[in-house]
Amino acid sequence: MLRYLAKRAITYVFMIFLTTSAGYLLAVSTLQPALLEQERIPRPTPEQVVNSFRLKGLDPTLNPWERYVDWLTAILTRWDWGRSPNGAFINAEFGDRVWISTRLFLASIILTLVIGVALGVYTAARQYKASDRVITSYSYLMYIVPAPIAYFLVQLGAININESVGERVFFVTGISTPGLDGDGWAQVVDMLAHYAVPTFAITIVGWGAYQIAQRQYLLDNVNADFVRTARAKGLTRNQAISRHALRVSFIPVAQSIAFTIPAIFAGGFFAEKIFAWHGVGSWSIDSIALQDVNAATATLAYGSVIFAVGAILADFATTLVDPRVRVQ
Amino acid sequence: MTSNTTARDTAQSTAERLRVAGLHAPTDAVLSVRDLNVRFNTENGVVHAVRGIDFDVLPGKTLGIVGESGSGKSVTSMAIMGLLPPTAEISGSVRLKGKELLGLSDKAMCNYRGNDLAMVFQDPLSSLTPVYTVGTQIVEALTVHNPTMSKQAKEARAVELLGLVGIPSPKDRLKAFPHEFSGGMRQRVMIAIAIANDPRVLIADEPTTALDVTIQAQVLEVLHAAQEETGAAVVMITHDLGVVAGMADDIMVMYAGRPVETGSVDDIYYSPRMPYTMGLLGAVPRVDVAEKTSLVPIEGIPPNLTNPPTGCSFAPRCPLASEACLDGEPDLRTVVPGTEHRAACIKSEALADVDAHAVFAAPAVPVSRFDRLPRHERKTVLELRDVKKHFPLMKGALLKRRIGTVKAVDGLSFDIREGECFSIVGESGCGKTTTLLEIMEFHKDQDGEVVIGGLSNKHAADAKAKGAMRRELQMVFQDPTGALDPRFTVYEVLAEPMENLGMSRPAIRKRIMELMELVGLQADHVNRFPNQFSGGQRQRIGIARALAVNPRLVVLDEPVSALDVSVQAGVINLLDKLRAELGLSYLMVAHDLSVVRHISNRVAVMYLGKIVEIGDVDAVFDNPRHPYTRALLSAIPVPDPELERTRERIILQGDLPSPLEAPAGCNFATRCPVFAALPPAKQEKCLTLEPVLEPAATDQQFACFYPDGELDADMVVVHENH
Repeated sequence: MLRYLAKRAITYVFMIFLTTSAGYLLAVSTLQPALLEQERIPRPTPEQVVNSFRLKGLDPTLNPWERYVDWLTAILTRWDWGRSPNGAFINAEFGDRVWISTRLFLASIILTLVIGVALGVYTAARQYKASDRVITSYSYLMYIVPAPIAYFLVQLGAININESVGERVFFVTGISTPGLDGDGWAQVVDMLAHYAVPTFAITIVGWGAYQIAQRQYLLDNVNADFVRTARAKGLTRNQAISRHALRVSFIPVAQSIAFTIPAIFAGGFFAEKIFAWHGVGSWSIDSIALQDVNAATATLAYGSVIFAVGAILADFATTLVDPRVRVQ
Repeated sequence: MTSNTTARDTAQSTAERLRVAGLHAPTDAVLSVRDLNVRFNTENGVVHAVRGIDFDVLPGKTLGIVGESGSGKSVTSMAIMGLLPPTAEISGSVRLKGKELLGLSDKAMCNYRGNDLAMVFQDPLSSLTPVYTVGTQIVEALTVHNPTMSKQAKEARAVELLGLVGIPSPKDRLKAFPHEFSGGMRQRVMIAIAIANDPRVLIADEPTTALDVTIQAQVLEVLHAAQEETGAAVVMITHDLGVVAGMADDIMVMYAGRPVETGSVDDIYYSPRMPYTMGLLGAVPRVDVAEKTSLVPIEGIPPNLTNPPTGCSFAPRCPLASEACLDGEPDLRTVVPGTEHRAACIKSEALADVDAHAVFAAPAVPVSRFDRLPRHERKTVLELRDVKKHFPLMKGALLKRRIGTVKAVDGLSFDIREGECFSIVGESGCGKTTTLLEIMEFHKDQDGEVVIGGLSNKHAADAKAKGAMRRELQMVFQDPTGALDPRFTVYEVLAEPMENLGMSRPAIRKRIMELMELVGLQADHVNRFPNQFSGGQRQRIGIARALAVNPRLVVLDEPVSALDVSVQAGVINLLDKLRAELGLSYLMVAHDLSVVRHISNRVAVMYLGKIVEIGDVDAVFDNPRHPYTRALLSAIPVPDPELERTRERIILQGDLPSPLEAPAGCNFATRCPVFAALPPAKQEKCLTLEPVLEPAATDQQFACFYPDGELDADMVVVHENH
């Protein structure tokens, strides 16, 4: 098992190195932070800009290859991912943002998975009954509604509730109320008021895909020969389905769940933007808008790592639930 | 028992009929089925799949239900088990030890299923849950009906059951998963699960159809042992008249959802009184006799059960049908007073001593112009010299290293002369199909030489030579549905090979009309699509396509194994006729030795990539010398109850070993009944030296050192006075 892990890890490290290097070279040859500096008032002279950038390790006069070598050396020797044009250190910024993304997505992804799989099982057992039709139609609706629109609708709904109550029950943006004093209880209430809307929005949009997948896989197995065997042993239909079909149908779902878990830490662009939680997702897009080479590359590298972890976890999940698959 | 089936009763209400039937049922019957009807609502209307079935099974006795696909036999078994979908409409009565089962809820049925009433299904590969161990699945069957049983007791019982069905080292195998078992082993596990709670009734639905003949013999033996152990009544459902001949006490022949003939096994096999039964029996080739007659073909297809037949359901296919047959469906009537032999035919009295071949007008045996010539005077159409196909077994993801070799085909040499049919037989995995693929490959880098119609792969393997080779050799595939493009009309299917040869359009058109007639299809059907034809007709299209370019050799890969018995007979007769009329040669691969015996002139028996015996089909089948050939032949059930009951049967131990584990000496030593009985001094020779093919008779060769050796007593089974 350890050998397998080491082998896979080496492969992925190599792949991450390739994508990150390619990403850096692309970013460094296309992003021009110096141009943005020209929009400042008072407008700095080009020499001032170059000097300021050189101090931050972003010397625009060097060619891309030289900058790549400098950048790589800094990472490999000091684990220093460089600085942004505004002077911020990527390493410091990164820690904060990962933590924010994690807080935003942790609860909602767990809820998404649990509700999605549970409803998938529920609807599969009641195929073509009213409850199945309502739930599955809803899931398909969520497939076609773009996520940002759903988020905005939830936001609007929360604002409507606030208005009709006449008091600010839910916060539709932000992580916490700045400068809030008070005892622990007030802090908890404030936190819940901030968490409720984004968590709810991400969850109700997300579980549709899992519901549809679990329902489909279970239905594929409900009439399987081995379920018939189980019934022939004397199990009722529902017992046979829950003991035999469910476990088999969960194999592909477990794989996709394992793949999803690391995404908790990677954040999401739309959700973070709309609810104004400044996590990794929004940073990745913002860094491109701000011509920030180091931040853009760092988020890319992070995305690759998350993907690799997801892939390894998916393999593990499969070996865990399916005895036919063995790690070699 | 008979009263509910006479015409007089039809006016009575079903309830009254059932009451009467109940009164007449034998009191000691464990399972009594009366007037069972099953209807399914489909998009095309209501399908009346089972239309009035009555039978009783006594403890320790076996009832065989025989019928072709779509005859309603599996639906009957599922209805008894209560496993049909809730949308099925079931009426009638199913009584288990006097208690009515129909109408019980799923929960109430659970007290009977797996307890008094157990079932073994057809496909062992998909019938076990892949994610649970075999032990868990057996124990589950015990837990459901014995909640108080201790864990140790259940485990001990599971070990006992696995041992009973013949799984070696059962204690360790409890923890194995189904995928670690072969098909035959999985079917044993299924039987172990079924008999876990000593059922009173055991229903086996085509339990051996998916298995090889040697494994089929093992599993039938296990079923037999299980029945003796539990004293259960067995309902054996099958399409194979051979399988039930040795096992069953009574037979029920089903057609179009109804029983058309019932009686004791001897009555049915030796004096059938319903034309359908007669046709079925005549349609099966025999492995144990050299036949010089054609098979009995039953023309046409079974009726569509969305429109209930108004007359006898078999009338449209029956050569004896008259006006009277179309007037109302005949009920089962006693044919011989005082016996239970009953047939649903108004002419059954007249059929007492009639030969099926006469009734169904079996065609005369076709004679080929080559038959008169001695074999050595005919030209060779195909020759293989030491053909090998070894697959390297690799391990590792990036850097692969070779950890072994699978010798799929290991040094084959044989030739096929003009006008003869040469067959290769053997269990699945023995290399039959790989041999065909090697011949079709025809590449000069192959290991060994393939000569087709004088063209050798070593000398002329360029595209032009390959084109010429394809003209000499064409192929007919196993699955006629998969082998035909569903978007091509028959015309396009048949025209394609000729267009490749650059024939002119009028010539193609003319040839297609000829071909349609040749294979017995209506010429005006050329613009239809394959899905508008039945399975047998599709195989005829496949044959026509192979013949389009006038080949001299046709390769037949299991040409009839996907077809029903009655349809199979027609296709075999057609192949026989074409061989004689067109002077064709066949290279056939088949697992059904009865078919092989019927159609072939010469046969090669393959085991683990090697030919172990080869020669004239009658010589090899009547006087097999190699122990494997003997075992293979003895494993095939013949549709003759008398013979089946007394016949000596060699039951090979275990499965075909993986070609990777091929031993140094004789491949077959691990399973050989002769080897097992040899003294150690003689065994040494089998283990170290590889036997080569040695001539036995004029046209028979075998590869064995001790062809006349004693058989190991443990591997020989005789059921006398069963």
